[in-house]
Amino acid sequence: MNADRHRVGVTSFGSIPDITAKVVAAHISGFLNLEAICLAPMKKPVFALDKQRLQYDAGALLQYMEKKMAASADKVIGILDGDLFLPFFTHVIGQARQGGRVGIISLFRLREKEGPTTRPSAVELERTAKVALHELCHLYGLTHCDSQKCLMHFSGSVADLDELPINFCRYCRQYFRDSIK
Amino acid sequence: MNEKIKIMIVDDEKIVRDSLFFWFENAGYFVDTAASGHEALKKLETDPFDIMFVDIKMPGMDGIELLETIKSTYPDTLVIIITAYGSIESAIKAMKTGASDYLLKPFKPNYLSLVMEKILQQRKLTSEYNYLKDRLEKISRFDNIIGQSPPMMDIFKIIPEIAASDASVLLTGETGTGKELVAKAIHAKSNRAHHPFIAINCGSIPDTLLESELFGHRKGAFTDATHTRKGFLEVVSGGTLFLDEIGEISSKMQIDLLRVLEEKQITRIGNSEPIQVDFRLISATRKNLEEAIRSDGFREDFYYRINVIHLNIPPLRDRKEDIPLLIQHFLKKYSQETAKRVDHVSENTLQRLKAYPWPGNVRELENAIERAVVLARSRTLGMGDFAFLSIPSARKTQPTLKQMEQDYILEVLNICAWNITRAAKSLGINRVTLHKKIDRYDLRARKK
Repeated sequence: MNADRHRVGVTSFGSIPDITAKVVAAHISGFLNLEAICLAPMKKPVFALDKQRLQYDAGALLQYMEKKMAASADKVIGILDGDLFLPFFTHVIGQARQGGRVGIISLFRLREKEGPTTRPSAVELERTAKVALHELCHLYGLTHCDSQKCLMHFSGSVADLDELPINFCRYCRQYFRDSIK
Repeated sequence: MNEKIKIMIVDDEKIVRDSLFFWFENAGYFVDTAASGHEALKKLETDPFDIMFVDIKMPGMDGIELLETIKSTYPDTLVIIITAYGSIESAIKAMKTGASDYLLKPFKPNYLSLVMEKILQQRKLTSEYNYLKDRLEKISRFDNIIGQSPPMMDIFKIIPEIAASDASVLLTGETGTGKELVAKAIHAKSNRAHHPFIAINCGSIPDTLLESELFGHRKGAFTDATHTRKGFLEVVSGGTLFLDEIGEISSKMQIDLLRVLEEKQITRIGNSEPIQVDFRLISATRKNLEEAIRSDGFREDFYYRINVIHLNIPPLRDRKEDIPLLIQHFLKKYSQETAKRVDHVSENTLQRLKAYPWPGNVRELENAIERAVVLARSRTLGMGDFAFLSIPSARKTQPTLKQMEQDYILEVLNICAWNITRAAKSLGINRVTLHKKIDRYDLRARKK
């Protein structure tokens, strides 16, 4: 693996504790063996806020990230405090396009208690890391996996997410290895 | 991962198309998009899709119209309607029209996932049902003899009765009508079914060779007889011998066979020891043997011996109502063989194929469909795909204005899958006028 070619940036939008981005970066390094760096935090993306839904438009955010941040690393994962949506979905926890360069995850529905926090719990950090790894693997071309013991299995709710281990099945792991060759 | 299910998203809003595209792509499906109903139909023409997500509100052709067209033309494609809150009545209408499910925007991500699970389960059950139906059809029909016309129904009815007896059968009919298939069906339904069925085309074998083939020979019986060989009359033991083109055999061979039929024993060429044989004879000819008795010296005693039961297979031109059924059967057969999904013949083409005289009968039709499927560039075969048939023009004289109007209206109705609103719009008349014209000309939709 060539570390220079596979550097992942992690950034946060708005006031999110540094520990969150650091945990995500550490998981990316630890589980995927990629170089992961924390990028400078970004301002709250008010331009992507839908005033009727009071949610952030995931598509608009990805477009923005493509323009502004894609150059800072090979792949970039953004972390947002607010709730994300797609036009037809009530919400999404994370969004990344297969083979794309940027992905976004939302902490809004991953929290144990409502409202922003200065000190995320261990459970919240684990959930955040899981979603970040899942979306990052989409960026490397992986699709959803049928195995319920694989992090690439689709989870439609936080309860489903909690059931998933932080691990990949051997097929997804192999696919990932092949995709970074 | 998912088997390569093909999904199409039809929505006029790019953001929705793109978002759903990426969602399904991440889920591992093959996805395509279309910005309008017309674009979707155009893509369906060349490429089959398993599941379509269709937005109900679109400019031009709306989701319901598109659903109606898909269901009438590509019934295997499952359609899921996407609608906004507040248009639940449209969703109900969509379900009545044949939609597999509907989604109310915005929906939870896991709801879409559940809908997909349900649809895939439904699809699996449908394909299992189709497989079993296909198996059942194969068991219940007489091999590949296909027909629903009264003459064919009579044949289907009489085959088990003929099979129950052991009398000789003479099958008459033009070339390509399926005489051998009927002979096989009689054999398959008879008590001899577990014994051999041997078919010999008497017209393609020289008389001297035919004698050796049927009776066998002893080593050294003639120049090329390098070893002793059993004849088909021995090999067929217990089974059925099918002699096609029986009208072509020589007078000597007729006498030899007559003796075998009477004595139930043969002697190999070059041998004098008689061998007992047991077989049922089914003969076939496209000749008029009664006329051959009068003019060509075909033996009358042999004729009566082979013609204990007579069955005439009608030519295809006398059972035109079987043509659509046969076309469908051959489309399915050659689509599977060539791994190309060609499953329709346009209404206009079907009418022209029905009007064609098919001198080569079912065999010619089968060859025509095979050739058309191999060369087809779309799922629906048109007249261009049968250019090699040199189908005569539908009319020899100039059509009347009334006839042209009638034909044109029928063509537009078929293109619009009998959607009256769309057809009326396309014709530039209102719906009431179109209904009146349909009644006046007694136009009817093609039966599915």
